[in-house]
Amino acid sequence: MKCVRCWRDSASVIAKAPDGSGAWEVYHCTTCHFTWRDTDEEEVTNAKKYDARFRLDKRDFDQMRVAYPIQPTK
Amino acid sequence: MPYADLREFLGVLEREGQLVRYSAELLPEPDVGALSCAAGELGATAPAVLLDNIKGYKGKKVAVNVHGSWANHALMLDMPKLSSVQSQFFELVNRWERYPGQVEWIEHAPCQEVVIDRDINLYEVLPLFRIHRYDGGYYLSKACCVSKDPEDPDNFDKENVGIYRIQVQGPDTLGYQVATFHDGGVHFQKAERRNAPLPVAICLGNDPMLSFMAATPIPYDQSEYKFAAALKGAPFALTKCLDFDLDVPAFTEYVLEGEVLPGERVVEGPFGEYPGTYSGVRKQLLIKIKKIAHRRDPIFENLYIGRFWTEHDQLVALSTSLPLYKEVKESIPEVKAINAIYQHGLTAIVSTRVRFAGFAKRVAFRVASTPHGATFCRNIIVVDEDIDPFNLQEVMWALSCRVRDQRDIIFIPDTEGSVINPVAAKSGGMDRKLIIDATTHAAPEEELEDIVLIEPSEKVPAFKTLLLNLQKAGAPSTPASQSPACRGPRAGGAK
Repeated sequence: MKCVRCWRDSASVIAKAPDGSGAWEVYHCTTCHFTWRDTDEEEVTNAKKYDARFRLDKRDFDQMRVAYPIQPTK
Repeated sequence: MPYADLREFLGVLEREGQLVRYSAELLPEPDVGALSCAAGELGATAPAVLLDNIKGYKGKKVAVNVHGSWANHALMLDMPKLSSVQSQFFELVNRWERYPGQVEWIEHAPCQEVVIDRDINLYEVLPLFRIHRYDGGYYLSKACCVSKDPEDPDNFDKENVGIYRIQVQGPDTLGYQVATFHDGGVHFQKAERRNAPLPVAICLGNDPMLSFMAATPIPYDQSEYKFAAALKGAPFALTKCLDFDLDVPAFTEYVLEGEVLPGERVVEGPFGEYPGTYSGVRKQLLIKIKKIAHRRDPIFENLYIGRFWTEHDQLVALSTSLPLYKEVKESIPEVKAINAIYQHGLTAIVSTRVRFAGFAKRVAFRVASTPHGATFCRNIIVVDEDIDPFNLQEVMWALSCRVRDQRDIIFIPDTEGSVINPVAAKSGGMDRKLIIDATTHAAPEEELEDIVLIEPSEKVPAFKTLLLNLQKAGAPSTPASQSPACRGPRAGGAK
């Protein structure tokens, strides 16, 4: 399924309510690691209503800072 | 010390009216984050909250706002819950000298009563919730992360316990933000240079004194466990991890055992951070969880962090001020106290005796050169010893009446800073320092020499006590008979 944040087709169900109530499902995107629950607010679950300031596109991925550059091994 | 772990501390809070049990059904989002935020905004006696009815996680327990007020902070120190901030600061100053405290190891520890070693799904084991609406996912915001120096693994004092932000990502993977200057970051860099994974134990639901120390910047070769023991005045109980040579609190609620993987970086963030703003999205370290151990009926503890005043602000308030004070005091004994409770010490207020002209600048430069102050203390205000730096009314008076002009204000551009602070984020963490000298100047500076401070009457303290007692008793005042000035029998032989 499509990720709410990066719009890549790399999201899927990662968990269901563990008490067996069927209260919710959690989805996880393996590209940008955005995670949401189907009971989240619509601003979080609906890609069209998701705040554009938090969206990730190709440019964001290309320019993303690496907090720890990978170090050469000895 | 009246508690040995988180559970017993929650009992202390409940007896003191500092715990609310909340059993009405809540949605994970936005309810639990909103409730956590609300609890922290309830002021100096804000309570901790224990939840047990989160939709989909029914029966699982969540504790929030455990450190979230000065009252809870005082109870953590086993002090009366209305103890002043200043008295809590100086109590910690005194207990600091007890370091090192004792640690002990126990077998069959409660934290390993239940073990999960297959089909790990963190979303089902932990009652996770999104803290802020635009967080990238669910964060562990109060986890004590334990790791060892890979080049000196038998040195217990170099084993680090730190609170670093963690984003739950895959069912058994975590994004891990630990800065390069943090001890946990040093451990990882040493491991990665050997292309080796770094074992890490993530402990959730801890003795509040350990969380306090895990949030305290101390030297690389000093032990958070021994410090927690010193501050509590009792040995700190540990046990060994099941799969790794790591020491974890025997009475912690959950232990996630895993490894930080070399050569791997994952997209992480954003997360609503301590300046009250969302951090950016960056590539951070990756942890793979191998095993979970937990107590029976475990309590998941998490922390609200965001726009002030939050449990995070409370947790790091004196834990930031104290090491700064200790370091500065060592070389400048004239320093009386340091209040660095604002956003991890981005602003610090120092009170000092002024020994000679320019002395306040010496103090400020020393604060700015401590390991924590170098990165965080971007606004440094220096006041005289007659000012309580924890009393902002007094500090504002000093700013109003003791700062002359540009001679008392120093601006240093292009210093190091915190990349999480939005004003330094775009420059990759480069910041500036602002120093304000709000002290009275000593010779040869002469401008304030003819200023005469008003000295209150020596009777003022006695009257303060009297008024407070009257207020407490709710009794009508009879000034003539109860005046501190009337110590003998009343004239006229009144009965």
